[in-house]
Amino acid sequence: MTKRLWLLALVVVLLASGVFGCGQPAEEPKDEGPDSAEAPQFDGEMLIGVMVPVTGSEATYGKDMENAIKIAMDEINAAGGILGKEVKYVVGDDGCDPQMGSAAASKLVSSEVTAVLGGYCSGATIPTLKIYGDAKVPFVIIAANSTQLIDENAGWSFMINSPGYHQANAAADCFEGFGSTKLALVHQGDGFSEDLATLTREEWEKRGKEVVAYDVVNKGEQDFSSLVTKIKASGAEGVYWTAYHADGALLIRQLRQGGFTGDIVVADGSSSVQLLEIAGAAGEGVYCTSPPVVDFLPAAAQFISKYNAEFGQEPGPYSGLAYDGTHLLADAIERAGSTDPEAIRDALAATKNFETLSGTVTFTPEYILEESNFIIIKGEGGKWVLAE
Amino acid sequence: MSFQEIFIQQLFNGLLLGSFYGLVALGYSMVYGIVKLLNFAHADIYMVGGFCSLSLLSFFGGTFLGKGWFGIVAAMLITMIIVGLLGVLIERIAYKPLREAPRLSLLITALGVSMILYNSVMVITGGEYKAYGTGLGYEGFSLGSVHVTYTQAILIVAAVSLMLILHLFITRTMYGKAMRAISMDRDCCRLMGVNVNKIIALTFFVGSALAASAGMMAGVYYGSLHFFMGFVIGIKAFTAAVIGGIGIIPGAMLGGLLLGLLESFGTQIPFIGSEWKDVFSFSILILILIFKPTGLLGKKESERM
Repeated sequence: MTKRLWLLALVVVLLASGVFGCGQPAEEPKDEGPDSAEAPQFDGEMLIGVMVPVTGSEATYGKDMENAIKIAMDEINAAGGILGKEVKYVVGDDGCDPQMGSAAASKLVSSEVTAVLGGYCSGATIPTLKIYGDAKVPFVIIAANSTQLIDENAGWSFMINSPGYHQANAAADCFEGFGSTKLALVHQGDGFSEDLATLTREEWEKRGKEVVAYDVVNKGEQDFSSLVTKIKASGAEGVYWTAYHADGALLIRQLRQGGFTGDIVVADGSSSVQLLEIAGAAGEGVYCTSPPVVDFLPAAAQFISKYNAEFGQEPGPYSGLAYDGTHLLADAIERAGSTDPEAIRDALAATKNFETLSGTVTFTPEYILEESNFIIIKGEGGKWVLAE
Repeated sequence: MSFQEIFIQQLFNGLLLGSFYGLVALGYSMVYGIVKLLNFAHADIYMVGGFCSLSLLSFFGGTFLGKGWFGIVAAMLITMIIVGLLGVLIERIAYKPLREAPRLSLLITALGVSMILYNSVMVITGGEYKAYGTGLGYEGFSLGSVHVTYTQAILIVAAVSLMLILHLFITRTMYGKAMRAISMDRDCCRLMGVNVNKIIALTFFVGSALAASAGMMAGVYYGSLHFFMGFVIGIKAFTAAVIGGIGIIPGAMLGGLLLGLLESFGTQIPFIGSEWKDVFSFSILILILIFKPTGLLGKKESERM
């Protein structure tokens, strides 16, 4: 009996510490403003919510985004803040989990934030759209890019990362730039790569061009020689590989070994530098449709060195977009002229050709990017570099 | 590409693929012939051979041998010896104590050895793909739009020569004769004064060395290694061994080449995409087995090997 009581007590203590332990520190806004003597005089504070995963399997990416937001806010504060107010942020941890996402959104809403930045995992972001919509909080979605986010948008969310189907356009543009008309598409039969291949085929055919080979390879298969013969026999001028780097490298090698001389483009799942390592000489001149990762953006050099200096590490894949989103939001609130949520939302919606590291931002009526922000990178000397 | 060009190109591709299958199938077949064991660890020996040769080749890269053909041949010979000895070691530790045990116990031990091998390599390599850098280029010869690199041609020749050497070894030497005799009647051989343990060890050595050479060739040709790379080829080589008649040396070579050619031509049939190539080739293999259950060159039980 006493044993059971002890157990009960232990559970109560654990629960209590869990509730307070987790809830408390995030509740208070972090004081991140510069404290130097020449800091501008602020007329009060403005609190921005940051919803990213800071625990769980995706925590590193969340932290990468939070760091970039901090850099952007320091810059904004150093330039006088937004509407004369000092910008501060409060983190809501979505843990890349729909339930935690909802909890984080409710917490941010009750902390009376002016607007929210964030969203890494689409799954965790989707249920929060309605919460922000009901509470009338403008939300700038940084990384999450599922098309479901477009369908579930409650009218208050803005996506600054291109939805997946923009990659198909980017690929088609790329091949059009090469002057190809006959295209071969190869995927690996999983949801992501097959979707992309299908979308690219639709886009390519919409442009009045021909897909002469559309094929799939089994995962773990090493020999693609038959496929290579098929592609060569089809007369394809370009090959688009929509799956991942390990098998993509094998395909590239065997295409070149088989004497294929056309253009090879791979999708973002293959943007790893390991693809170039495995492909060796065959990887030279291979192109890749990639999200705007700061490593490849010449405009981001200053941001990268700032990031390195402040955090002693390289920016993550979505740090650049997080930095962009913060500046975009600040600009929109400035243009709105007040913290009235409807004014901010309208100002965001009216964003026209706003220059960011990752490209220009103009929103469609569905609040997604009008132009794809995918960039084209090229294998050169065993490294990926930005292609013109 | 014209029809003939596609045919010739696929013939080359199929031969190369088939010789990989054949080399691995030989090991399955030899071991089955002599100790009646389906050595599931054999596919992992192939994989270990790939990784072993990669470390040797990266080492040679810094010496006068370089990463070109000299380095590759040296690395291949040393790899074949090291991995051959690994095969002997596995036999001594895991299979020999169970030689008189029921066949199923031995089978499960083989599965265990397979898991130990690929899990160890997974831990060592961190489960990542490793690039197999060589000094070889993509030069080759072209006949119309048929393109064959020198690497491909040399690999085919190398694989076929290994098979021929093995064939001569089995049919012309005393050791080969002893192997054939043991596969017929082990106890009788022992009574005749044949050192059975030594010959069985030799069989494992030769089989593992051949698999290691295939693993290395796959690395050189495809350019990457992975701890699970043995799985698919293991299944296919085993199938090749059964098709040719398991336990029969020329059968394994024939089965391997046949499977390679079937796969390579199967994908060229209209409406059969690459994802269906295994379905196509295995359907034909099932048909062969229905009409000839002992495999293409299979004879009665007593005349194995």
